[in-house]
Amino acid sequence: MSGLTLSSTAERIYWLGRYLERSETTARLVIVHANLLIDMPKRLPLGWRPLVEITGSASEFAERYDGVNEKNACRFLINDTRSPGSLLNSLTWARENARTVRGFMPLRAFEYFNEIYLLAREKLTEPLSRSRRLQGLTEIVEHIQRIDGFMSANMLHDAHWNFLRIGQFIERADMTTRTIDVATGTFWEGAIDLEPFADVQWRSVLRSLYALQSYNTSVAEPISQGPVIDFLLNDSRLPRSVDYGLTSVRNNLRSLPHHERPLRAVNRIRRSVAQTEVRKLSAADLNRFLDACQIQISELHDEIRKTYFDFKPRRRPSKQRQKKPQKQPKAQAAAARRS
Amino acid sequence: MSIDWRRYKPEPFWDELITAKGRARTGAGNLCRVLSQLSDQELLERRTASELAIRSMGITFTVYTGEGSGSIDREWPFDLIPRLIMKREWDAVSEGLKQRVKALNMFIDDVYHDQKILQDEVLPREYIEKSKEFRAECVGVSPPHGVWSHICGSDLVRDASGQMYVLEDNLRVPSGVSYMLENREVMKRVFPELFEEYFIHPVDDYPDQLAECLRSLSHLKSPRIAVLTPGIYNSAYFEHAYLANAMSAQLVQGSDLVVGRDNCVYMRTIEGLVKVDVIYRRIDDVFMDPEVFEADSMLGVPGLMRAWRAGKVALANAPGCGVADDKVIYTYVPDIIRYYLNEEPLLPNVPSYRCVEKEQRDYVLDNLDKLVVKPANESGGYGMLIGPKAGKKERDKFARQILANPRNYMAQPMLLLSTAPTLVDMHAEPRHLDLRPFILSGSSTFVTTGGLTRVALRKGSTVVNSSQGGGSKDTWVVDLE
Repeated sequence: MSGLTLSSTAERIYWLGRYLERSETTARLVIVHANLLIDMPKRLPLGWRPLVEITGSASEFAERYDGVNEKNACRFLINDTRSPGSLLNSLTWARENARTVRGFMPLRAFEYFNEIYLLAREKLTEPLSRSRRLQGLTEIVEHIQRIDGFMSANMLHDAHWNFLRIGQFIERADMTTRTIDVATGTFWEGAIDLEPFADVQWRSVLRSLYALQSYNTSVAEPISQGPVIDFLLNDSRLPRSVDYGLTSVRNNLRSLPHHERPLRAVNRIRRSVAQTEVRKLSAADLNRFLDACQIQISELHDEIRKTYFDFKPRRRPSKQRQKKPQKQPKAQAAAARRS
Repeated sequence: MSIDWRRYKPEPFWDELITAKGRARTGAGNLCRVLSQLSDQELLERRTASELAIRSMGITFTVYTGEGSGSIDREWPFDLIPRLIMKREWDAVSEGLKQRVKALNMFIDDVYHDQKILQDEVLPREYIEKSKEFRAECVGVSPPHGVWSHICGSDLVRDASGQMYVLEDNLRVPSGVSYMLENREVMKRVFPELFEEYFIHPVDDYPDQLAECLRSLSHLKSPRIAVLTPGIYNSAYFEHAYLANAMSAQLVQGSDLVVGRDNCVYMRTIEGLVKVDVIYRRIDDVFMDPEVFEADSMLGVPGLMRAWRAGKVALANAPGCGVADDKVIYTYVPDIIRYYLNEEPLLPNVPSYRCVEKEQRDYVLDNLDKLVVKPANESGGYGMLIGPKAGKKERDKFARQILANPRNYMAQPMLLLSTAPTLVDMHAEPRHLDLRPFILSGSSTFVTTGGLTRVALRKGSTVVNSSQGGGSKDTWVVDLE
C-alpha cells in the first residue's frame, strides 16, 4: 500500500502465522501419537496424557473431562470449541485473522483459509472414528502445507511477510521444544521399564516433526534419545529444528525496523541452546533446560509485542460497539499453554 | 430464442434504451442489435463469465445475517445489459451537479459561520437549529477551500416524461463508487466486442481524482492519506479497502490512530507513530470522536475533532456537513442555489411538499394515498411511507406522526421511475433504476462520467438497494460525434 505497516495489521498477520503452524503441529501430533500407541504394549502408562500436556492445558482438560482416554483427548485437541488450543479453534482464529488482513495477501489466500476451516468443520465433527479422524487430519495437514507454499510463492515478501514467518517460526520452535519435553518427561516417569520401546517412541517423535527420513539420511547414529534431541534442537538443516526456527525468526527480524530488543532476545535463546550439551544432561536438567527455552521463547514474543504491536500511547479501554475481529483469546491461550 | 426487442414493452414507463414504439433510442441501436444476435447459449455463457469474474475479482458486499451468525460476503449482483447516456446529456447533467454541490457547500459554510441565509430569511432559522445533523462543535471552523462535503453522491431519477431529477443528495458518507469501477472491469472482460461499437468514456480515473481532491485539502506537497473504516463487518468494507488500495492510502480503523498532545493525528505502525494529514472517513460523525460525540464508540478516535478544529488534520467529509443532507432542507436547494450563486438551478428537484407549512401539509394529509412521505434524517429508505402501496392503518399512523412533528417530514408525488432492459431468464424485461454519480470538491470540482446505476431486479419494484434485491449495471456515457 504505501509501504507502511500498521501495528494492528502486523499483529494479526503474526497471529495468523502462529495459528497456522499450531494447527498443523496439532494435527500431526494426533496422527503420529495414535500410530505410536498401536506399536506400544497395552499396559504402558503412556496413553494420551502426553498430548494433553503438550498443549499446556492439562488443568483445563481435567476440569471438563472425566479422565484421559482416546476419545476425550481427541475431542479436546481436535474439535472442542471450548478448548483454547483445539485444532478447530486454531483454524477459526487463523481464518478470522486472515479475513482482516486479506488486502495484504494474494487474493486466493483468504479463500484457502476459508476452505480449510470449512473442511475441518465438515470432516472433524463427532462421531470421529479412527479412520475418519486419520483421513480428516491428513487432509488438513496437506491443505495447510499448500497454503504455506502458496504464500511463499505468491505473497510480496515485505514486512507483512516477515511477521507471518516470525509467527510461524516462533510457534514452530516452541512446539518442537514441547514435543521433546513431553516425550522425555513421559519416558522418565514410567514405572515400567520402557527401555525396550525407547527407539519406537523416538522414531515416532521424529515422524511427528516430519524428521524421520531426514534423520536416517543425515545422522550416523542409531535412533535414541541423545542423538534425536540433539538433532531436533541443533541441526540447522532441519526445517523443524529449534535452531532453524530461531534462525529464521532472526533473519526476518533483521528486515524490520527497531529490531534491537527482539534480536537480542532471539540471540539469547540461540546461544543458550547452542551452548548446552544436551546429551550430557540428566533427566531433571534436561527438563529444566527445555522449560527455560519455553520461557525464553515467550519472552521473545513479549519483546516483539512491545516493540511492534502494543507500544504506548494506549487509549483507555471502553465498551465495544462493533464486533471486533479477535486476535484470539490469546492471553488466555498463552496462559493456558504455560505448563 | 434469446432477446427479442419486439416483445419488450416498457410502457407506461420511460425506458433508457427503447422508445414507446419499440425502437432503439438514439445511440442504443448497435447495442440492441448485438444483444439480439446472441443465442440463449451465448447469453448464458456471458452471464456465467460475468459471475466468475465477479467471484475471482472478489467483488462482494456484506450482509448482516442476524443475531449471532454475524455477516457474510455476497457476490455483487450485476446485470449484463449496460445503461446508455448520451455524452451531450451527461455534460448538462454534470454542470447541474457541480452547480448544486457548490451551492450546498456554500450553504454549509454559511450555516457554521455568519448564517446570512437565515438572517435573510430564505430559510427559517429553526430548521437549522432543530436539525439533528447540526453540530455546534463545527461552528466557526473553516475547512480548506470552504468545502465541507468533498465527496457527494447524488441520486438521479427519470420520470415517465424522460425528465431527469435529483432525488436526494448524499453529502455525508456516500458509497457505491467502487462498484461503478468494478462494473466496468467486468463488462470489459465479458463483452469486449461491445466496446468496439462505441466510444465509451472511461471511468477509471476516479481513484486518481479522489486522491487529488484529498491531497488538495492539505498544504503539504505529498500529505499522508488514510481511509478510516469501521471495520470488516461494515457493509461497505470492500469499497473502503478498494479505494485505499487504488489510492495507495492506508486503510485504518479507529484503534490504529491516536491524537497527540500536539493535536496531530498519528497512525500506529511498526516504525512507531506516523503522522496522518488527510483522513477520508467512512464512519458517521457521531462515532468519530468519543470525546465529543458517542462516548462509548470504539470506532472513533479520541481527540479527532480537536485535531480537525486545530487544522492539524483534514477530514473528508467534514463533520457537520449532514446539516444540508436533510430531506426538508432538500426542498430548499433550488432557493439555496439562487441565493448563493444568483443562478437558476440547472437540474430540477423532484416536486416536494413541506409538512411544516400548513397549506402544503393539508395537501399531503389529504393525498397520503398518492404520495411518498420521507422523514428528514433517515437514509437507505428507512421510515418512509409509500402511500399508494400502504394500507389505511399505516397511512393513519403517518398522519399522526406528521401532525406531531411536521418539521421531520416532507412528501413527494410517486414518481414513475424509468426502466432499462434487464436480463431475466435469457430474455430482456424492463426494470426500474436510478443513477448515483459522485461529485468531488476540493481545490477543483470533478464529476464521475456517469455513475453507479442501481436496478431493482424484482418485477415492479423500485427498491434498488443491494441488500434488498437490487442489482447494478455498467453505465456508459457514449459519444456519437
